[in-house]
Amino acid sequence: MFSSSILKSVSKPGRYSGGEFGQIIKDKEKVSARFAFCFPDSYEIGMSNLGMRILYGVLNKEDDIWCERVFAPWRDMEAKMRENGLLLTAHESGDEVRKFDFLGFTLQYEMCYTNVLNVLELSGMPLYAADRGEEFPIVIGGGPCAVNPEPLADFFDLFNIGEGEEMLPEIVRLYIEMKKKGATKAEFLREAARTISGVYVPSLYDVTYNEDGTVAAYTPKYPDVPAKVKKRIVEDIDKMYFPEAVVMPYVETVQDRIMLEVFRGCIRGCRFCQAGMIYRPVREKSPETLLRQAECLYKSTGYDEISLTSLSISDYTRLAELTDGLIDWTNEKKVNLSLPSLRIDSFTRELMEKVASVRASSITFAPEAGTQRLRDVINKNVTEEDLMRSASIAFGAGKEQVKLYFMSGLPTETYEDIEGIAVLAKNTIEQYYATPGHSKRNPQVTISVSCFVPKPFTPFQWEAQDTIEVLRDKQEHLKTKITDRKIRYTHHDARVSHIEAVFALGDRRLSKALELARRADFAFDAWDEYFDFDKWMQIFAEAGIDTAFYANRQRSTDEVLPWDVIDVGVTKEFLIREKNRAYAEKTTPSCREACSACGANCLGGKDTCCPNSKK
Amino acid sequence: MLPELKKINEYAPLDEPRTVRLRFCKKGALQYISHLDLQRTFVRILARAELPLWYTQGFNPHPKLVFALPLQLGTESVCEMVDIKLVRDMPCEDLLKRLSLATTAELDFTDAYVPNSKFADIAAAEYEFLIECDNAEKMAESISVVLTTSPLTVTKKSKSGDKEIDIIPLIRKVEVEAEEGACRILATVAAGSNENLSPELLVEALRKRLILLRGNEEYSILRRKLLKADLTEFR
Repeated sequence: MFSSSILKSVSKPGRYSGGEFGQIIKDKEKVSARFAFCFPDSYEIGMSNLGMRILYGVLNKEDDIWCERVFAPWRDMEAKMRENGLLLTAHESGDEVRKFDFLGFTLQYEMCYTNVLNVLELSGMPLYAADRGEEFPIVIGGGPCAVNPEPLADFFDLFNIGEGEEMLPEIVRLYIEMKKKGATKAEFLREAARTISGVYVPSLYDVTYNEDGTVAAYTPKYPDVPAKVKKRIVEDIDKMYFPEAVVMPYVETVQDRIMLEVFRGCIRGCRFCQAGMIYRPVREKSPETLLRQAECLYKSTGYDEISLTSLSISDYTRLAELTDGLIDWTNEKKVNLSLPSLRIDSFTRELMEKVASVRASSITFAPEAGTQRLRDVINKNVTEEDLMRSASIAFGAGKEQVKLYFMSGLPTETYEDIEGIAVLAKNTIEQYYATPGHSKRNPQVTISVSCFVPKPFTPFQWEAQDTIEVLRDKQEHLKTKITDRKIRYTHHDARVSHIEAVFALGDRRLSKALELARRADFAFDAWDEYFDFDKWMQIFAEAGIDTAFYANRQRSTDEVLPWDVIDVGVTKEFLIREKNRAYAEKTTPSCREACSACGANCLGGKDTCCPNSKK
Repeated sequence: MLPELKKINEYAPLDEPRTVRLRFCKKGALQYISHLDLQRTFVRILARAELPLWYTQGFNPHPKLVFALPLQLGTESVCEMVDIKLVRDMPCEDLLKRLSLATTAELDFTDAYVPNSKFADIAAAEYEFLIECDNAEKMAESISVVLTTSPLTVTKKSKSGDKEIDIIPLIRKVEVEAEEGACRILATVAAGSNENLSPELLVEALRKRLILLRGNEEYSILRRKLLKADLTEFR
């Protein structure tokens, strides 16, 4: 634990002092394996992550495994640690992370990669897996970014591809058995790769490159190592472990509420959306299970808000049953319901009244693109009419602020599509005045425009990202089209999106850049105050890496991609079909309307809408 | 979660909400939790304990919590108090039982009772300081002198600007003892809405005055008692 003089000298010391209600303390002498689970960002962000809450519970329900939390110390604390020669410790025990059996990272976004390396360094561990001897923990990565783990491959021993609820305890179990027999790390890794589905051990593959810099092949070093690692899913998420108690942070976190996962996957198939592809097949929990879990969580946490978290919550087949069941007791207990993502084609007054906390004067919708043509290209399957109807419901109920999310730089996008964003915003304002019973205040429409980043395992994985110059020009162009002061316009930094694309689409050669970034003391790149684009470009130049090769290059569909070593269920044939339909401006129906044979049914799954599922 | 206790609706409803004072400790890791975070934490503890709370009326109903005297971050306490309002006749022992299951040892509830005093009556607080130092005997002597000789000035930062204040008039009582490698100071100082001396300010004043203190030694502060103007214990 940190001394009081250190804790008193840093910002928000409650992030480091621990002692939370609900944290799990075990006798370290009596456990067989110790697991340090790291969210490589600040405590407030990490404590908000549902995946971490789930896996912390999954591992700790095993008596002989003790899972503890680790976060990236904020930079002021890091300075104190370095000044005092302190190594990074786990939150519960205060023991040094380097003494653990495992150090696991959840990889939620590319811009946390510099923090991953910093955590390794602050733990007193060599960065490269090859340089870490038997005395160091086995370093594991998982989460959405692990579907293309290649930029991080050289720093990790093992990746979890897919859902960890079953896979992670199996890995630790195997480790405990093999450790008893005196096996080496290398022996364990090979056995894990050989026998546990979803395990990817990057050191067991040779990668060769073509002269043009593209990947030639991934070759397993041994015949018993899978040539392609298939994503792991939990077949029956209704019966799956779900934590009914969580660690309660004292300091305010980003998602300081109950997060109730209603279903996994998404029936929609928006073509830019990685989550919509990699979490397939869609599997639902039953309202009975969810109501029981919600009530347990309320009793164990005392939170006054329940957020129904899933990719597109209004697509839940039994939503009315669930929300009615919740409202039965949440109103009385003064607990608010919140829904993070509402589709404008299924937004109803009834739904809004159930969930709208009276406090929120603003509501958010995501049309994603400004014209119907482009919305068809990305398969968003919503219309301007949907937006106007939804906005009208919100306005009629007294709300005067609407936030609209868009993306710029989408494939086939023209300046006309960009101008469409301004038109939609203007029409939303007009809708406000046309809605009977609107509030007396002035309406405000905020348009927030992010930059499209091509992601692996999407129909747009072969696309070139717009250059920073083009993205900025589009941003400026949109600005000139907005004249109404009731419209607020914000956009993402195109330079951040460029770096994101490089790492999202990257290969193993990027490890050099990440190493140099660590040497140059990069950290917290997801935070504006620490992101330094010019320094990034210097790093890439020093590493001999052309960022345009990764971010701005149109790939051919027969190119071997760095993530072809991973099989997430959806097939390349499906992705190519979808890409072609995008260019033909043709939409694809949702999984529930018609199966588009994406291939994810090969993974199985109970209560899916997939025909011919594995079993 | 609370199987051995009566259900909430088995406690009789009250005609008027009843104010109950809870006394609690804030120790160890909890000393690094700010007052604002503590307030939020309390709402959750009370919900976990399933206390029959009275809620404010209006758009955003919330339980009414009134804290005695906010504790500065970095100070421990064994005498924190908060007033809550109940709508059912729940005996104090049940209240404490429920609360003990909803919190940790570092935020421990030690008493619950219907108060017959107002927080406005708090006029002083007793703090115990433990400052690590070499040559504790000599240090204790110097500290005794410094803490009883006016003026002992320190810069007080506030929104309206920094100002120099003499803290001696705010110190009601002081005892200093030397221990193995540390000095223990027991000080009763002004506290409350009229006059207030933050204990951190006292340490700062000592550090400023005493060259013997290096300025980086470890120290701890514990609030032991809340007192009325006549220096009898506030309850």
